[in-house]
Amino acid sequence: MKTHLKGFKLTSVFILIALASMVFGCTQEKYKESTDETLNITEFLRANEEEYSLFLEILEVTDYASFMNTYGTYTLFLPTNAAIEGFLGDVGAGSISDVPLEDLQELAKLHILSDVVTTVEFNDGKIATPSLQGQFLITGASNINGESSITINKDSRIITSNLEVGNGVIHVIDKALRVADKTLAETIDADPELSLFAEAVRETGWYDVLDQPVTYDQDSISSHVSVLAQTNAIFQEAGLNSIEDLKARYSHLDDPTNPEDSLNLFVAYRIIPELDYLADLAVKSVVLTKAPLEVISVKLASDSLLLNEETFNGIFEPGVQINRAQSDITASNGVLHYVNDNFFIKKRFPAPVYFDVADQPEYRQLSAVFRKPGNYAELARSELSEVTWEGNEAFKMGYLAAATGDGAQLSQAWHGDVVELLRHRTGVINNLAFTTPVIIKGRYKIWVSYRQNARASSSVRVLFNGEALPRLINFTEYGNTELPERVLESQGYKRHLSVTTSRFNSRLAGIVEVPTTGRHTITLESLAYAGGQSWIDVIEFRPVDMDQLYPKFEAGGDGLIYE
Amino acid sequence: MQTRITHILAILLAALSLSCDSYLDLRPENGTVRQEFWQTKEDVQAAVIGIYSAMLNTPPSESDLTLAEYLFMYGELRGGMVSPAAFTSNDQSDIITTNILPSNSITTWSQFYRIINYCNTVIDLAPDVLEEDPTLTQEQLNNYLSEALAIRAYLYFTLAKSFKDVPLKLDATLSDGDNFQLETTPQDQIFAQVLVDLNDAERLSVEDYGNTPENKGRITKFAINAMQADLHLWLENYDEALVAADKIINSGQFELIDASPQWFTTVFALGNSTESIFELQYTPENRGPFYGIFLQQPQYLAAPAVLEEVFGVDFDEPENKDVRGERASLVPGTNEIYKFTGLNEDQRKALQESDTHWFVYRYSDALLMKAEALNELGRGAEAISIIEDLREKRAAIAQTQEQVSPQDQDGIRRYILAERAREFAFEGKRWFDVLRNARKNNYAYLDILLGVALRSAPANQQQSILAKLQDPNSHYLPINTFELYTNKALTQNPFYK
Repeated sequence: MKTHLKGFKLTSVFILIALASMVFGCTQEKYKESTDETLNITEFLRANEEEYSLFLEILEVTDYASFMNTYGTYTLFLPTNAAIEGFLGDVGAGSISDVPLEDLQELAKLHILSDVVTTVEFNDGKIATPSLQGQFLITGASNINGESSITINKDSRIITSNLEVGNGVIHVIDKALRVADKTLAETIDADPELSLFAEAVRETGWYDVLDQPVTYDQDSISSHVSVLAQTNAIFQEAGLNSIEDLKARYSHLDDPTNPEDSLNLFVAYRIIPELDYLADLAVKSVVLTKAPLEVISVKLASDSLLLNEETFNGIFEPGVQINRAQSDITASNGVLHYVNDNFFIKKRFPAPVYFDVADQPEYRQLSAVFRKPGNYAELARSELSEVTWEGNEAFKMGYLAAATGDGAQLSQAWHGDVVELLRHRTGVINNLAFTTPVIIKGRYKIWVSYRQNARASSSVRVLFNGEALPRLINFTEYGNTELPERVLESQGYKRHLSVTTSRFNSRLAGIVEVPTTGRHTITLESLAYAGGQSWIDVIEFRPVDMDQLYPKFEAGGDGLIYE
Repeated sequence: MQTRITHILAILLAALSLSCDSYLDLRPENGTVRQEFWQTKEDVQAAVIGIYSAMLNTPPSESDLTLAEYLFMYGELRGGMVSPAAFTSNDQSDIITTNILPSNSITTWSQFYRIINYCNTVIDLAPDVLEEDPTLTQEQLNNYLSEALAIRAYLYFTLAKSFKDVPLKLDATLSDGDNFQLETTPQDQIFAQVLVDLNDAERLSVEDYGNTPENKGRITKFAINAMQADLHLWLENYDEALVAADKIINSGQFELIDASPQWFTTVFALGNSTESIFELQYTPENRGPFYGIFLQQPQYLAAPAVLEEVFGVDFDEPENKDVRGERASLVPGTNEIYKFTGLNEDQRKALQESDTHWFVYRYSDALLMKAEALNELGRGAEAISIIEDLREKRAAIAQTQEQVSPQDQDGIRRYILAERAREFAFEGKRWFDVLRNARKNNYAYLDILLGVALRSAPANQQQSILAKLQDPNSHYLPINTFELYTNKALTQNPFYK
């Protein structure tokens, strides 16, 4: 009996242990279900609430918190709590709830881009992708007490950059960005130094134009303008002290509102019909103005931007410098710059235009693709504002920045990029029409450069403003690497790249008379069957009296190579 | 029954006693452990030669660029004399345009610390061999230590010039138990340690190994003197820099070779000339990276302005040219960098024999460092005469001659810098020369650096670049993100916030 009892005791102990282990063992083991613990933007803000609670509050009040937590590609300029408090102080609000909801929405949207933009892509001007609010943000750098920082909209400094989160990237800024709510006209009015310029703008009737909100036309081209203003002091240096002086000097018809009156042209010549921050001007050679057919040339000399610096008949005419420090003032409908000298319309002479056909504004906005080797994108006709073609709506025009060192040597193109047309023929993509950059009135030779492909169209006609040029271009033809280049030129070919390769070829399409200064249309019409890709690199417009071979283009780079 | 058990036991015992020996041995089968190495003087020699070998090419177990490539990139990419070519990576372009993020792969310093660890191992473990191997003399040991100390000093010197504050590790990493969480040490302390090491190395050093390849390919007293002169210029100790440079110049071991069509072949293509102080000895069997990066898949080109602005062109008499320019440093027209791939004025080396060395210090460096020290000490006339002598030897053309008065200290400073650009084009020195001159007298000459940056800045970024470079911290590379991730004790350069 005793042993039996002992056995019973032992058994009960075992049963107890077994029961206990079952109870504990049954609770579900917690497996990690996510493979990635990277926070999204809103979660990141919640996790760091002590620093960013106020911006989080704005996102919640405006109902943007949830979509900033969805997957996607965003860039957030994140103001710290101190920055938001500074903003509240500026607008005289005690707390976020005192600010009208609409303003908060605009403010929040201004801080968000719908693309991932790291600081590597910043330059001296606007970020290629506009903010969700619609206004562009401008980047730069400043040095305060020996410490340099990257800046946004001139005075917000980046404290922490390139924080990677699940749905994009965050840059922390020390001052909230402000929506530019004044139009250009109002911005000019607000600066007492510009009173004389403001008066001229009013007298000539341009005030209303500069006061209009931004609109978009059917090609979704915006009505942004850029204004080159000059202060009273600059006018005084030129001996112009009042609006009467201005009228006496310029208004030859005595009617400033008449578009043909010189004072009207004087103002119109200072309005550039596109959004050009200084960094945009620095990479352009010529810009159009609102004065019909008149353009301003831009030159970058060391670090100063000079307008209309030319040598004419051997006489050097110094340019007008842009005041870098004051310029780049964003307004709701454009940007305002200041110049350091009085200037007037200048007669222009033909200048070469090297039209990289792949440099389309819509491709440029794809900042992860544009000129980033190893990337490809394609856009439909309706998405491109400056290119049209005939054919099936389903066929798109490709942009190819080939990977460095690709076997097909496509990366050897100028800027390393080409336009790609799959089956350039009637029924697919044909009559491809590009809007050219500004070309100054005069006689030009047109060279079309391409990457050879045996399956491309063997016969392409080039039309300038609808008029056919004499030579047909054979996109299956290799470049010649043996003939001396001047001999080759006389046959209507050249090697446009340096370092050259037979895979690329450049063909003289013909000579045209450009009738007016401005933007024109160049059309490529395929007359043959094409089963594969055509790759177009660059279309050159060189004045007839200029050297047609040099400068060449840097293969795979951005440079011009002089003889 | 009893006997059967005994038999089984006996067999088991036998099996155990036989197999245990190798079965329980934990030593690796394909490597040597420390307890077996570091026994004889040959082991010490092998370890020292191993350091040089690692400086030539990365060990096969690691995938990393070679030291020479890092020296080229750190010294040239931001110096304004190099442009991107067809095979330049985005990371390389970003450094050229001063657009550097901590994630940039070029900022990886593991190659440097790998070799530093090899040096540390020799410095730590070689002295014990003295007891193990009576045939190792104290003098031999000293010489080996001198080599390891000098190479370590050179690498730390380069790191501090490139990154400013870097972790300083002076003992060997021998086991996983070592502390890898090291803080950064300020640049001035790194420089101080480099100076201590160089002075020790000099005391223990060899003047002559008895044959030219070793005299040019291993650390000699003169290589150490060149490093000392270089360091003292950075520390603005001009008297000491002068003393160190004079030790080389007065040794009588070196002389400049007259300009001739063979000059390029002698000095660069063949190497180990009388102009050479210390070179990394690539051979046809153990080739450098240059054929690939400059010729086959070029990652770098000479900047378009280099030929005209640095070497000058005599338009009236094209045959009148600086021996260091066309077909020595670069190929006109294509701007290909030629120094490391050329055989002579007309031909490049074939791939199989592309063994051009990497030139760490050449005699002309000692001369120009002396000139720099003299100028800073107010002895401008002597500095000018050194420059003029060198220019004569190099057949420099009148277009690049500058008329500076002996009193014009700043003018001479810029003249020396320009002469260094000609003399050491693409030898990994340009950016350090610019930075060293810019930071003199507490950044009194920052304009030199800004001017260099402005010339290579893209038109739409130059304003940002100028503003960024106002901050001295931006002159140094960031600590790579990966290092920050693995070593939490590091502090990032505040510019890269």
